Amino acid sequence: MKRLLYGVVLLAGFLCVTTSCTEEQDFSQIDDLSITPILASGIFYLESDEDTINSASSGGPFYTREVNFDAFSQDYVAERLLEGTITYEMENTTSKPVRILIEFLDEGGTVLDMEVLDISADPSGVVTRDVFYGPGGKSLDILANTYSLRIRALNLGDTSSVSSQDDPKVILRSGAEFLFELQ
Amino acid sequence: MRIPSGLLLFALLCNVLATAQNKQLLYDFNEIPQSLMVNPGVKTSQKWHAGIPVLSGLAFQGATSGVTVNDLFANDGVDFTTKVRERLLDVMSDRDDFSSTSQIEGITVGFRGRNRPDTYYSFGMYGEMDIISYWPKDLAILAFEGNGGNNIGRSFDLGDLNLRGEMINVFHFGINKKIDNSLTIGGRAKIYSSIFQFQSIRNSGSFVTRPGQNNIYESAISADMQLQTAGIRGFYDIAEEDTGTTQKDVTSLFTERVLLGGNLGLGLDFGFSYNLNTQTTITGSILDVGFISNSKDVWNYTLNGSTTTEGITVFLPEDINNVDNDLWQELLDDIEEELPYGENDSGYISWRPVKLYGSVRYDFGEGGRGSVFENCGCGVNVDGGNNRDYYRNSVGGQLFMVKRPKGVQAALTGFYQRSFGRVLSLKTTYTVDKYTFTNVGLGANLQLGPINFYVLADNLLSYSNIADSHYASLQFGFNIISWNNN
Repeated sequence: MKRLLYGVVLLAGFLCVTTSCTEEQDFSQIDDLSITPILASGIFYLESDEDTINSASSGGPFYTREVNFDAFSQDYVAERLLEGTITYEMENTTSKPVRILIEFLDEGGTVLDMEVLDISADPSGVVTRDVFYGPGGKSLDILANTYSLRIRALNLGDTSSVSSQDDPKVILRSGAEFLFELQ
Repeated sequence: MRIPSGLLLFALLCNVLATAQNKQLLYDFNEIPQSLMVNPGVKTSQKWHAGIPVLSGLAFQGATSGVTVNDLFANDGVDFTTKVRERLLDVMSDRDDFSSTSQIEGITVGFRGRNRPDTYYSFGMYGEMDIISYWPKDLAILAFEGNGGNNIGRSFDLGDLNLRGEMINVFHFGINKKIDNSLTIGGRAKIYSSIFQFQSIRNSGSFVTRPGQNNIYESAISADMQLQTAGIRGFYDIAEEDTGTTQKDVTSLFTERVLLGGNLGLGLDFGFSYNLNTQTTITGSILDVGFISNSKDVWNYTLNGSTTTEGITVFLPEDINNVDNDLWQELLDDIEEELPYGENDSGYISWRPVKLYGSVRYDFGEGGRGSVFENCGCGVNVDGGNNRDYYRNSVGGQLFMVKRPKGVQAALTGFYQRSFGRVLSLKTTYTVDKYTFTNVGLGANLQLGPINFYVLADNLLSYSNIADSHYASLQFGFNIISWNNN
């Protein structure tokens, strides 16, 4: 009788192993997973001393350069870009106002968009501009189709004055924070 | 001998689901011949044994120290992304792991020496797959949240990438010797025939995006990372070729690797059992002290270097004459140069995960057959040996430790074992480890004449909802055992 009892216990244990239960699982939920990281990066930094600015005519450019920039137009990036902000910061300790133009150009060189960043002469403080792209802001297509940036820095003052500051400079900083949908 | 493909598939599937390597139910369960595989110095009483090919020992173990399948995939109406964030990203640490171990015994044979009845020899072959991946916490957060927003200034540890896996076939030969009535010792030599191996276990480095010295942000990365693989590219190349003979080619390569045609290694097991008195026994074993020399079909990937970038930088007047308009591409090229991604085929040594067992057992409850130390009639065992023929009950504790890539992992087990003559033995265990505090296991060994069947199952409480289990393990097998009197 005892052996029978233990036999039953053993059988029950074995059945427990082979017929274990599980709550209902829905593995298709993985399709609902949303991975949307915010990626941040510095983009462009321009620094110029006052002598270089003075070398340009009044109202004329002291720096002009077109640089390729396809960070956003890569297919993988462009398809996943949701929204984001490009932040520009300017600081000027020179004696003259400066304007920096940043043009977003497509593959054929057509201007898609332009940012005009003006900063007064010293003391200017730090001037910040946030440009939002996405719903309610500028079109993401601008970034998705940008293959190069044309940067021009203009001297809006005279060509001879010198700031009393030590090592006077104009500085443009820029960085981006964008939301991507990886899945 | 042809292993049914369904069985192989089942084994591989279980490998994906399984984790951990502790065989606390099998350890010192000396009625089961396979207990020799976890302690070569276990007390043996049989004259000979032979496992039924492929079915003598199947072991599947799976564990996760963090999230369970049910945590993520239960049909509970909670948004899946929320579950991933709250139950995975916010909870799991870089020491949590997913791991899987499975073994399929192909052949196992043991016999007592004709002229050395105090010595029991055993040999055989088994396949093993062992994979462990620690949760790459920082990399997961980087992928999920990115380096921006609240993560500006956060340093992501690239060393969180830590994984290791291998599939091997093991040929082994062991000797178990009874020194006297108190002490039995044993050793086992192993030849490892590697089918594949990969490891990425000594990574270091960091990635951080923070306010820059000049620009708004600067990103700095420092990496010393390596993924070593051996035996994988051969299978990959076959799959890539897609010649119509893929299955045949894979089978051929697999068979070659199983039969010592791939990378080889050596290993040793040692163990002992010692009677402190007629009722108290201590045992210990150390397993898989060995390595595999990976020199064939090696393909390694490296990422080594450091760089910091703030984006395109122009300083005037220094850069006024730089008319190059590929500044962005140059920036990317510079990063690639300072942080080169490389491939090489340098051989390497992979160490086996060393395991250590120890136990103390107290036998009690007179009423069994014969008298103390009367046993199977095997050589020295004629006048000594297995007390379980006399004492029906055993109680004790076991310690298990295994060397993992991030350190030693331990488990503590308390057990109770009861024998019902030679026909039936039951063992129940309670185990505490990093995976669960509620692991109750049950093992049964059934001996019907020469036919031996055993089944050992862990963490039974979780079987009410196996998807919510942090640990699951199942071992079973058939053997034929002979004593002198049968």
